[in-house]
Amino acid sequence: MSKSNSARKRWLISQAELEIWLDGLAQARTLIAPRQVSGIMLYRPVAKSNEIAWHGQTPRSAHAGRPVLSVKEIFFPPTERLFTIQKTGQEIRLEETFPDWETVVFGVRPCDARGVKLLDALFLDTNPVDSFYARRRGNTTLIGLACQELGPTCFCTSVGGAPDNAHDMDIMLYETDGSYLAEAVTEKGRFLIPVCEWKETTASPQQSTYSGQFPVPEKGKWPEHFNDEYWLKISERCLSCRACAYVCPTCRCFAVRDEMLAPGQFERIRCWDACAGENYRRVAGGHQPRAEKGERLRNRFFCKFFYYPEQYGLGAASACTGCGRCIEVCPAGVDITEVLMDLEKQA
Amino acid sequence: MNENPMLPYLGKLVEVRDLAADIKLFRVEMLNDGGEAFRTFQPGQFAFVSAFGLGEAPFGIANASGRGSAVDFAVARIGSVTTGLHELGEGDIVGVRGPLGNWFPMKKFKGKNLIVLGGGIGGAPLRPVIQHVLDHRSDYGTLTILWAARHPSLLVFTDEYAEWRAAPDTDLHLTVDSPDEKWDHNVGLITQLLEKMSPSPENTVTITCGPPIMIHFVTKMLQEKMGFAPKNNYVTLEARMHCGMGKCGRCNLGEKLVCVDGPVFNMEEVGGLLETFL
Repeated sequence: MSKSNSARKRWLISQAELEIWLDGLAQARTLIAPRQVSGIMLYRPVAKSNEIAWHGQTPRSAHAGRPVLSVKEIFFPPTERLFTIQKTGQEIRLEETFPDWETVVFGVRPCDARGVKLLDALFLDTNPVDSFYARRRGNTTLIGLACQELGPTCFCTSVGGAPDNAHDMDIMLYETDGSYLAEAVTEKGRFLIPVCEWKETTASPQQSTYSGQFPVPEKGKWPEHFNDEYWLKISERCLSCRACAYVCPTCRCFAVRDEMLAPGQFERIRCWDACAGENYRRVAGGHQPRAEKGERLRNRFFCKFFYYPEQYGLGAASACTGCGRCIEVCPAGVDITEVLMDLEKQA
Repeated sequence: MNENPMLPYLGKLVEVRDLAADIKLFRVEMLNDGGEAFRTFQPGQFAFVSAFGLGEAPFGIANASGRGSAVDFAVARIGSVTTGLHELGEGDIVGVRGPLGNWFPMKKFKGKNLIVLGGGIGGAPLRPVIQHVLDHRSDYGTLTILWAARHPSLLVFTDEYAEWRAAPDTDLHLTVDSPDEKWDHNVGLITQLLEKMSPSPENTVTITCGPPIMIHFVTKMLQEKMGFAPKNNYVTLEARMHCGMGKCGRCNLGEKLVCVDGPVFNMEEVGGLLETFL
């Protein structure tokens, strides 16, 4: 458990001190940070702090400081090997490799850290534990960076988050006039802080003044909207392209299949999948229980606000972090905030 | 269990035989730790079977625990994994992950009359129910089996009908949609056969598996024409799940996951869900 806000230790550090520290972390561990890759910002390994996209303005991302994909991919990669298969005549040999390297992620935004917490409910807290996710999660320290402002599609404050929410981080950094206030949120985070070198402070971070933007329908209200015509109407725009799920910090559906590596050698992989896909729910005889686009789009929204919270014990919380990425990438203008506001109006 | 629950146990095919047109029975003798994992399982549970190099798919376990040490699967050749399995023969190695899911509450059924309704390959997960009842015959009331297929060549477990018919208080009724010249049983849909038999709901539970449309109309008829309470109509549902452990998200029926909340449901539970399986 993280300590309460007031009990947390804090240090005031300069940009130079931060960079020296990150360079040191990158030597002993894999340091992953926002980085420019082919014109977009992604969380990628960096060898030195000067590779980090500090404020990352990019033409392809409407949000100044938030990578195009969430940190989800660090714990639950788009494609992951589950084991390899060696076939020699009738003999079969299966071999596993687990991710065992220590990783530090820098520049995590509060919405993304919240996304990881939501995935924990499924992969860690519900049996059986997912061994791949669990190893990555256990070996990774999250260093957060509070958002200075909300981006044009951000709505974290409407779904229980805040641009400066340190709750799901190990270490949180707040920018203050060219320097940083560093806060140890967990023991794991504190372990990485060079306490002898940094100057401890009693200063508190300035609290974000952003408040809730719009009311989101409560979990209990969702079932009554299940048969609304609305889903068919809104889905007329949807292309079933599944980009929304790809960028979502909490979409976690996957498919499992075998791929050939060489003659007689295969790997079993899992890769991201999404419920908007046409064949996603099709069964062996060809029956397709979610044949309509509207039924599939409805499933996505119900999963975020009703199914997932029900299935994995989130209480009143939703499985949406308000990062706004799905709004940014949708080529057809399906806007989750519009959907939430429309539902609230109908209630 | 393995640290990695996605890692299958290995099993050796000790018998592969044709059950029906494009449907084969695979009898697997589990190797190493798999023997312990599959020492007991319950009627209605399922497992993933791997055709290594092609992938894995979920199948209802087709035999009752306690009839030898092997695990049976009835596989219709439909897609790439099932085609790969059909190419395997005795002595070949497959992967098996399970047993998974819930099961038919056979203990709760004790003393009750059972009606088992199977359509096509949907008969496979019902065979363990039939075998379990035959193996504990005095625990249950009458056993009535309604067994259907589109065509006589698609009826499964034909070589076991004599055993089923010979058991005390056990009836087997066959029907096909389109008969061939040798067919001398009922012709028509399973609902037509059911309507003709018009069973009493008294002290009786039904267990149905088949195509979704069949499950829908069978249970509707049982409730609307014969007066069964939905909670006494048990079904086992299908979904193209990829993990079987509540992770991959692919098999949700509204807020329930077929893999961990099912695959066995009674129709009262199904009726309470937001989404329909149809």
